[in-house]
Amino acid sequence: MSADLHGSQRAVETLVSKLRRRQVVGSREAALETVLVLRQVVSKARFSNIDQLISLIRSVGKRLVEAQPKEHSVGNTVRKLLHHIREEYNTAMTGNASSSKTVYSISNFVLQGQPRKQNVAPKSEATLTLKENDPDDPDSFARVLKPVLMEAIQDVLDELETVYDNISKNAKDHIHSDEIILTIGHSKTVETFLKVAAHHRSFTVIVAETGPSYNGHEMARALSSAGISSFLVPDSSIYAIMSRVNKVIIGAHAILANGGMFAITGSLLAANAARVHSTPVVVCAGQFKLTPLWNLYHDFGALDFADPSSVLGFEEGNLVDKVDVLNPYYDYVGPELVDVFITNDGDHPPSSVYRLIKETYDDDDHEL
Amino acid sequence: MSPPLAAILSLSQLMVESNAGTMFELVKELHDGAEELKRHTTNPISLNAGCELFIAFVTLFPHESDSFAELKTELVKQGQKYAKEAISYRNKIAELMLDFIKDDSVILTHSYSRVVMRALLHAHKTKRISVYVTEARPRGLGVKTHEVLTAVGIPCTVVLDSAVAYVMDKVDFVLVGSEAVVESGGLINAVGSNQMAIIAKAAHKPFYALAESYKFHRLFPLSQYDLPTHNPSILSFPSLPPRPFVTPPTTSGVSPPIAKSGIDESLNVTPTSSSERSMSAEMTAKNPDVDYTRPDLISLVFSDVGILTPEAISQYLVAMFAG
Repeated sequence: MSADLHGSQRAVETLVSKLRRRQVVGSREAALETVLVLRQVVSKARFSNIDQLISLIRSVGKRLVEAQPKEHSVGNTVRKLLHHIREEYNTAMTGNASSSKTVYSISNFVLQGQPRKQNVAPKSEATLTLKENDPDDPDSFARVLKPVLMEAIQDVLDELETVYDNISKNAKDHIHSDEIILTIGHSKTVETFLKVAAHHRSFTVIVAETGPSYNGHEMARALSSAGISSFLVPDSSIYAIMSRVNKVIIGAHAILANGGMFAITGSLLAANAARVHSTPVVVCAGQFKLTPLWNLYHDFGALDFADPSSVLGFEEGNLVDKVDVLNPYYDYVGPELVDVFITNDGDHPPSSVYRLIKETYDDDDHEL
Repeated sequence: MSPPLAAILSLSQLMVESNAGTMFELVKELHDGAEELKRHTTNPISLNAGCELFIAFVTLFPHESDSFAELKTELVKQGQKYAKEAISYRNKIAELMLDFIKDDSVILTHSYSRVVMRALLHAHKTKRISVYVTEARPRGLGVKTHEVLTAVGIPCTVVLDSAVAYVMDKVDFVLVGSEAVVESGGLINAVGSNQMAIIAKAAHKPFYALAESYKFHRLFPLSQYDLPTHNPSILSFPSLPPRPFVTPPTTSGVSPPIAKSGIDESLNVTPTSSSERSMSAEMTAKNPDVDYTRPDLISLVFSDVGILTPEAISQYLVAMFAG
């Protein structure tokens, strides 16, 4: 029993050190690893009421987020899991006769609007008899609830694994024939999106190099190997060619609560150029990137930094002491510059992002 | 205690003393009570918000109880409980606001607002802030803000209402309270807020509004003159006496220039000893008390319900009152 607990603790520690050392690359990978670790934690956990379980998951989540605070998908996955757990618990409890009625108050009225029936299909079809804090059989609560929770976690995992396919489902409707698309950086989501669309339409893609990481090179290679005609251009020509571009399709690192987003450096440049030319900016991102956080720091505070030597190499010996080199990895793009977010759950304008966040996460979990 | 909460408490009291037998009669009595309250104040907007919220709640309350008296007592209890809880909303909003205030921020605020005061005092405990506050004529409540902040040790300077554009480049963000937040997602606040929002937008500074949830109002103003506080006398031009004009008075300018006087008198009034002049009460009466700020000028609204964009407020209000 205690070995099981140690097993799950070890899994948490491994993930924490991997995150801290940035050995987990990519938001989707981070989210997947988080779900797997949390699945282990929940399956080995011992709890006799729901609050114990929730505080256990929150403490694990807090450790993971603190290991790598700029990797938002970790925190989002934890929040999503907590939301699912609470939902399952509530549907299981409403089947129970001894459930406490939530008194309808004015503050509830303001928060939720009019009282309306919950038409969420509960996963537990059979009404479970849940006894919390049973002194005779402390494990009964956990035993009854765990299979339901495992199913919920499996759902989250499935959703993460099918993210690319779901986003690309309607790709052919978003791109018309003979269009010129501009993209930046190497986003797997955008790559899959464009490849799927290429089965049905023929179009051209202009890929910006995206210095100083030059991810654009791999993107251009990947797209052309799929038979899409691609051009690789330096970042400085983004504004110049924008008048010929029909759409800008980019990926995001995280979608913020106000509808803005963090995306790879260069996205702000492309989005601004597109706004000037009235070109639509389309962002492809999975729902796990929705973050209930705000861009609190209008300068670099919220961003992540990469190795400055790719900007100014150490060979420039005499310059290195005299010059401060910053290499921010992400840009903040405001909601007014994005036209639509294509997620695995449908297409949404930036002004509806707050509603998505309200539906996907619980208010108490915004701060883990 | 702010007007909407007082309205909710007085309407609850009305319910206690009413002897209505059905829901219909009760709601009618509440409506009459609300009308009575509104008649006695010049600025009924925030009062209205509280009344509408309570009446909508009463109408939509799901009742499982069979007796009407039980239902009434339940509603009264809810009303009083809400008023008690609502006192804590300002603290909640101050806490939400805290993260958005960086160290060494320069904040511009307008007139006197209790929720803004709470937010600033809360931030002062952990961060260094300095505050510009507009005088907010004609009531001059900005001076009150200045007194309160200086007493706590926050550096504060009063600026003229006309100097908002002058000071805007020095400011990090603008923070105002609210009388009401309306269905379009816009803001109704003391006159001068709209001006400040337009200038903030032009200078690319964030404009934040703080509003407790009982200030969400069902109004949808299409322009400034669509507000219930607007009446024909506001911003009206004086009716002039028919020509020919009277000869200018020979007495030196003892009487202050009145709006209804002929055009020429202002040219012939001899200057008084002081170099400053001020508006007369009659002039001030022709000016509005509140104005309407459009939702596209507002960056975020902080409320106990959460941090919301103006579109989100719009959705909330529709969800609350529609259907």
